[in-house]
Amino acid sequence: MSELLKLNAVETYIGQYHILQGVSLEVKKGEVTVLLGRNGAGKTTTLRTIMGLNPASKGAITYKGEDIKKLPTYLVAKKGIGYVPEDQGIFADLTVEENMKVAIQKDNQETLDRMDWILDLFPDLKKFWKKPGGLLSGGQKQMLSIARAYINNNELLLIDEPSKGLAPIVVEKVMESIIQMKEQTTIVLVEQNFMMASTIGDCFYIIDDGRTVSHGVMNQLKQDADMRRKYLGIA
Amino acid sequence: MKWTYNNRANAIYFIIAAFLLLLPFVHDSRSLFILLTQVFIFSIFAMSYDLLLGFTGIVSFGHAMYFGIGAYAIGVFMKRYEPTNLNFVLAILTTILLTAIISFFVGLLTLRLKSHFYAMLTLSLSGLFLVLAEKWRTLTYGNDGFTFRVPEILKDRTDFYFICLICMIAVFLILSRFTNSPVGRVLQAIRENEQRTESLGYQVLHYKIIASIISGIFAGIAGILYAVSLRFVNTSVFALDITLDALLMTIIGGVGTLVGAIIGAGLIEFAHHWLTALAKEHWIFERWIIFFGIIYILAVMFFPLGIVGTLKSINWKRRKKPDVKKEEKLAG
Amino acid sequence: MDVLLNLSLNGLATGMLIFLLAAGLTLILGLMDVLNFAHGGLFAWGAYSGIWIYSKTGSFFIGILGAILVGFLLGILTERWIIKPVYGNHVQQILITLGLMLVLSEMLKVVWGPNQISANPPDYLVGSWEIGGVIIIKYRLFIIFVGLLVFAAVQFLLSKTKIGLVVRAGVMNKEMVQALGINIQKVFMFVFMIGAGMAALGGVLLGPYSGVIHAEMGLEFAILAFIVVVIGGMGNFKGSLLAAALVGLSGSFMAYYVPDLALAANMLLMAVVLVFRPQGLFGMKG
Repeated sequence: MSELLKLNAVETYIGQYHILQGVSLEVKKGEVTVLLGRNGAGKTTTLRTIMGLNPASKGAITYKGEDIKKLPTYLVAKKGIGYVPEDQGIFADLTVEENMKVAIQKDNQETLDRMDWILDLFPDLKKFWKKPGGLLSGGQKQMLSIARAYINNNELLLIDEPSKGLAPIVVEKVMESIIQMKEQTTIVLVEQNFMMASTIGDCFYIIDDGRTVSHGVMNQLKQDADMRRKYLGIA
Repeated sequence: MKWTYNNRANAIYFIIAAFLLLLPFVHDSRSLFILLTQVFIFSIFAMSYDLLLGFTGIVSFGHAMYFGIGAYAIGVFMKRYEPTNLNFVLAILTTILLTAIISFFVGLLTLRLKSHFYAMLTLSLSGLFLVLAEKWRTLTYGNDGFTFRVPEILKDRTDFYFICLICMIAVFLILSRFTNSPVGRVLQAIRENEQRTESLGYQVLHYKIIASIISGIFAGIAGILYAVSLRFVNTSVFALDITLDALLMTIIGGVGTLVGAIIGAGLIEFAHHWLTALAKEHWIFERWIIFFGIIYILAVMFFPLGIVGTLKSINWKRRKKPDVKKEEKLAG
Repeated sequence: MDVLLNLSLNGLATGMLIFLLAAGLTLILGLMDVLNFAHGGLFAWGAYSGIWIYSKTGSFFIGILGAILVGFLLGILTERWIIKPVYGNHVQQILITLGLMLVLSEMLKVVWGPNQISANPPDYLVGSWEIGGVIIIKYRLFIIFVGLLVFAAVQFLLSKTKIGLVVRAGVMNKEMVQALGINIQKVFMFVFMIGAGMAALGGVLLGPYSGVIHAEMGLEFAILAFIVVVIGGMGNFKGSLLAAALVGLSGSFMAYYVPDLALAANMLLMAVVLVFRPQGLFGMKG
């Protein structure tokens, strides 16, 4: 398997703060890569840097062998990268339908078919189709955001903490849907919930103080309690 | 190193101040003194503006309002009552009171909201004062304005030159002191990052209102001096042009430096003078404001530090490692 | 009764002109977070260029179209050259638009001279109708009609088209719109263009309404439009229509009964809104 996305020694400033100080990672096609690390370690910034929302100042970001470091956000998205931000980024006053419509780039049969598939995956969205996005529950917002990121058949999804603030039962539902999406697309997942991360993830990267400090396949981490304690603060 | 730099700067300021104080004894040009007096008055006005824009990051588009209040306060007192020293003092007190009250309320209404609001409300309020000055004819004589007599002590042009110069130096010292005081530091922290200042436990709103009030009062005082220098006041003191003058002076001179405001005032006032004279040569110079507008836009775009700010940053670059500068730029 | 109706029509007509100015301001503010202090300059440019074209061609309709085109063009140039270079810095943006306001109104004087220019409505809009003993001035009705038409058109654009959808989404979350593959710069330019076009239309309509146009009218109306933006809620398009009608009506009634306080009354209304409902009278969100 070849790598779809590659970050090499990426550094990012936000204002005067040097947030990313050397993030390197490779995302293989068809896999779920999980970014782990403490709060404030730079996981969210890594995703935002890939999207060009916080542009990298140093290093290289290549997607399918093409340099995307300097591309504006909308062109990164157009390359086929979908983004589910930490706060889901739902347009609160737009209906669920309109939220999807904003995202749709090609109005063709293929998109319609995919929409059907997505709505089967997330029946709640169909139920609230004409309701404003702001009225959805946390889990439904998460689903809408994931659906919106996938509607253009994006080959890579960047999902930021989908379990955050959700009830355990809802987390399970979101997790199941991500497992289903996994069949179709490649995913980079930022996740604090180790149960979820270890269930879905194929491989992991640990980010600490703005650097990637360790990586490997998920099974290794499951067995390595020391490392978990050191970087993640969990046993 | 900072210490020596400051000392050298202080020495230069001192020499310039001494030169200006001695000038009337060695040179005798009426028109030059009148022009310099204008420079001093507008320096005070521009410094008051700099306190808001440069030190606190508040944009006011109605600074002419405070200026005009001062100008009309003195005019009305001198016209309706005898031009005595007592009435002069009363006019100053009235100005301070009125500008303080108005700037307090403007601040209270808008400073907890986005920066747009302060700019908008001050712009509209100064528009209201302009209308008020036009309509309240019994007090203001409408558009045409009125002339008035001034107290004996202000009559001599040379004396008035000294008064304005001393006022300018005093305002400069007071505001330098103030901006370096703990309160002034908080204001600068607000300019850099409002949320962080708030989260450090400072009542950001209170500090901004303080800045608004102090700025308003000094602008009012500049207005008093302006009206006295002309012995005449009309509605033009409330016009947007006055605010634009202050904006141009602070931006071209360099925001957040106070000295920049003075240099800007000097440049703009001399340019006014010169361009007005050129208007006789070619009609395009009658529209000289257009040049200022264009220079102003270019300055905001490419030259946001102004003259003093740019000089300082060159100085800074020479002394410090270059990467310090880079970080500063990212923060901006 | 006659007076009341006439004052209402007068107020509504003025309100529509303010609306045309405020609608663009509020849309630009909502989407781009830029308060365009040069908007009044675009209004005045619409008036001068429209009236000039009208006087050259003899057709008021072509004058209106010309004004809108000039507005579009100025809007695009303003966004490109003035707003975009300082994007992301509020203070710089506010400062620079005021400078542009100055340059625009001075340029008017360079092109058309410093004196005011008179303007009359075309023959078919001169005069009045008498309906049931009430005299209705045609041109006022025409302004109200055009204002409502523009409102309906923009409302349709916002609610029924993809670009309108994107604009509404952009008001809520600019980053997300970009992350969904949309070039927000193009959307900005589009909105700026529409906003400037509306302002220019307002300007050219004002000409025959007030009889004369002068360079300072841009600022006068801009101040009213700012009041409307605050009362209607920043970024609230529908709110700006209602608030403009309110400001127009209060202005016209106050001007009849206590003329000196017309502007003061509207300022007071704005101050009250700022204290109690900074999100605007007609705003939903905080």
